[in-house]
Amino acid sequence: MSGSLYTQLLDLACGGFLLAAVIVLWRRELASIIRVFALQGVALAAIAVLLGAHEGRGDLVGVGLGVGILRAGLLPYLMRRALTVIDADRRRYSVAVTETRETQPLVNVAASLLTAALLTLLAYAAARPLTELHATPATRALPVGLAVVLIGFFVLVTRRRALAQVVGFLLLDNGITATALLATSGVPLIVELGVSFDVLLAVLVLQILTTRVREAFGTTDIDDLRELHD
Amino acid sequence: MSTIPAALTAATVLGGAGALAAPALPYKIRIPAVGVLTAAVGVAGAVAGAAALGGSRWTASLPGLLPLAGTHLAVDALAGLFMAVAGAVVAAVAVYGIGYAAGHGEHGIGSRTAQTALPLFALTLVLVPVAASVSTFLVLWELMALASLLLVLAEHRERASVWRAGVWYAVMTHLGLVLLLAAFAVFAAHAGAETFTALRAGAHDISPTLRGLVFVLAGLAFTSKAGAVPLHAWLPRAHPEAPSPVSALMSAAMVNLGIYGLVRTGLDLLGGGPAWWWLALMAVGGASAVYGILQAAMASDLKRLLAYSTSENMGLILIGVGASGLFGAYGDRRLAALALAAALLHVVNHAAFKALLFCAAGSVLRATGLRDLDRLGGLRSRMPFTAGLFAVAALGAVALPPGNGFISEWLLLQSLIHGLQVPGVAVAVVLPLSVALIALSAGIAAAAFVKAFGVGFSARPRSDAAAAAEESPPLMLVGMGLLAAACVALALVPGVLGTGLDRAVAATGLPGSGAVFGGGLRVRLADISAWLSPVWVVAALTAALMLAVGLPRLYGRRRRRVNAKLWDCGGGAPTPRMAYTATSFAEPLQRVFDDVLAPEQDLNVTPVRESAYLVERVRFQRRVPDRIEHRLYEPVLGALNRAGQAARRLAGGSVHLYLGYGFVGLVVLLLVLAVGW
Repeated sequence: MSGSLYTQLLDLACGGFLLAAVIVLWRRELASIIRVFALQGVALAAIAVLLGAHEGRGDLVGVGLGVGILRAGLLPYLMRRALTVIDADRRRYSVAVTETRETQPLVNVAASLLTAALLTLLAYAAARPLTELHATPATRALPVGLAVVLIGFFVLVTRRRALAQVVGFLLLDNGITATALLATSGVPLIVELGVSFDVLLAVLVLQILTTRVREAFGTTDIDDLRELHD
Repeated sequence: MSTIPAALTAATVLGGAGALAAPALPYKIRIPAVGVLTAAVGVAGAVAGAAALGGSRWTASLPGLLPLAGTHLAVDALAGLFMAVAGAVVAAVAVYGIGYAAGHGEHGIGSRTAQTALPLFALTLVLVPVAASVSTFLVLWELMALASLLLVLAEHRERASVWRAGVWYAVMTHLGLVLLLAAFAVFAAHAGAETFTALRAGAHDISPTLRGLVFVLAGLAFTSKAGAVPLHAWLPRAHPEAPSPVSALMSAAMVNLGIYGLVRTGLDLLGGGPAWWWLALMAVGGASAVYGILQAAMASDLKRLLAYSTSENMGLILIGVGASGLFGAYGDRRLAALALAAALLHVVNHAAFKALLFCAAGSVLRATGLRDLDRLGGLRSRMPFTAGLFAVAALGAVALPPGNGFISEWLLLQSLIHGLQVPGVAVAVVLPLSVALIALSAGIAAAAFVKAFGVGFSARPRSDAAAAAEESPPLMLVGMGLLAAACVALALVPGVLGTGLDRAVAATGLPGSGAVFGGGLRVRLADISAWLSPVWVVAALTAALMLAVGLPRLYGRRRRRVNAKLWDCGGGAPTPRMAYTATSFAEPLQRVFDDVLAPEQDLNVTPVRESAYLVERVRFQRRVPDRIEHRLYEPVLGALNRAGQAARRLAGGSVHLYLGYGFVGLVVLLLVLAVGW
């Protein structure tokens, strides 16, 4: 793979990675949010595989494939399953359509998109000292990871549905993984394996929690859970 | 293997074994087993301390024991003195504690938690002086605070006040830890390393302002642990509410470590400092001495009285340490050594008599269930041994011959009086003032302990519980007997401590003063023409007493002794209600110090309905609140409370809000980084 092709492909993957995060903010339908998240998983896997291919490291390619299977396959599958349960209930009891849509985020979509732009700017500004250290294509793409971390956090703060919250958490984690990959040109296999298992367990727990919350309160709007104060 | 490491290893193993055994053992075996192990920890600590006082030194570093910093240990004579005192107190009190806890049921001091904490507390009391690096010291210091907190809380099921005392103690001891942490962090950062050796070497290159800051922060923390005014508020709460053996350990061994820390940091690690440090310390000491003993004289709760008396004695010791530093600052190193020796000797004396006093108070509490002197009385005939032991200790506490406290206070006064030859205006003002304060506190101490003994043990019982009191079991008496023997030995032959005391003083870099020597029979001051022979003082006093009692018997007219009723002016037989109570005894003193104490009085007169001149009931109430607490603590606590109430609005309950705090924090941090300040 020639240098310029690698650079272009890496930039493409990173662009797709960031774009997916922004689209998560834009879409309201939970099903399409999950689809976009799966696409972001593919972009993340592509980043890892590209890095591995460029440096000729087989283990990094392996990490990329593993990340792809987990984040583009397994995690979206788990979330979609939780969504189907909610959807089936909705049809059976003709509950309002709001359970499967992020109807009323705390910050509306237009403002969210503007905020995402500002957060991306902030990420680029804050990561400047890091990119200046060693100007390779990978480190130049580093702010993308940071931007996705911030956007994921923003999703956590502003979205009401429990499943949207899970996606926000996973965006945050994707961002961290991307930052780690780009900054160190590939984390060791064992570390990535540990992180992946953590994420998988967290999603399993959150899935169960979402179902329980809905059973107990009839909604997955976590803004209704307001007992946690003194 | 030399004595010190062997003894310290033994203490650690025994203490650990006690802490592990306590939760596993059934109630019947738990108390004796833990008690014996704790006593053994004390003996091992005392042996190690005595070896250090005998001139051996020991250093070790165990890099693997604490992460990052490692553990550094060192024993010199100064550490040895405090280890020996703590060890001896622990050993005697542990023996006493077996008897005390045995009758107390499965809750309180006999519970699993308390019995687990007890050997740990004993162990940390012995080990704190061994620490030779900041991290080791702070870890042990905090372990000691936590173990003692658990023990203070032991009887929380029985009284609600225990819980409040525990909160006060926990908060104040941790504030102290924070101050200490700040002081040592600044010190270690500027000295370049955190072992005591490195601090000692680096102390002189630090700027005077920073050295002053370190001293003030550490001084606040250590004087708070020592229970000195104004950071004393935990002491009169925690010491009375703790089970009595724990009170004895805290009051006789733990507060000493505040003094140890101060001497170690101020005189040894920082290597002395400018005069204002020591003047401030003497001011704190003088205020504690007078204020502590005044409150003690007013208290009618026996253990509260003893707790305030601890505050007083720590004040006296602080005056000694401060005077030592002051003389050092003016270059008179021999007087500095003398003042420090006097202070350290008072540490030893105070530990002996205060442990015994708290144990005796515990015996009274166990026998009657009462701490209120107003309702005690008449215990001399019901509990003769306890009364006698209390008297021995009270004699030590009043700083009059032939008590053991007298010798150290005499030494302290000598060093202050002869300090006038040191030039300087501050010295000329402060030293006579200190002498006056010490004399005043000694006088009030006499009143306080006459009250404690006279009202509590003499006269007739003023409650049924006091009338039905029974003497304590033998193990308690043995424990107290050991302490009483120590008191008597310190009063008669303080000279046995002579060389050890000299070595302890020399460990801070001062020359040995030779303050106490002469085959144990005489106390002589090396450079000053003053000497005291405790044995002769006791002999002379005994002879005078014999003469006073014997002469009238020999030469007086022989009369037959008649047992008859006292003439009662026709008013009927005197009842116990007519006797002096603690409150009435203290009343004249309270009038004298009205302006300082500011007592609160309440007088409610309820007239009979038909006539304004006929009174149905008069209710009179008087309290002597801790005024410093009133003025200093309540505004601070009120402000904190208001701030807390205001901050409650931040916690609205919404998960999004809580996540938002994190998000905003992160973004602001990144913004600050991006802008680059």
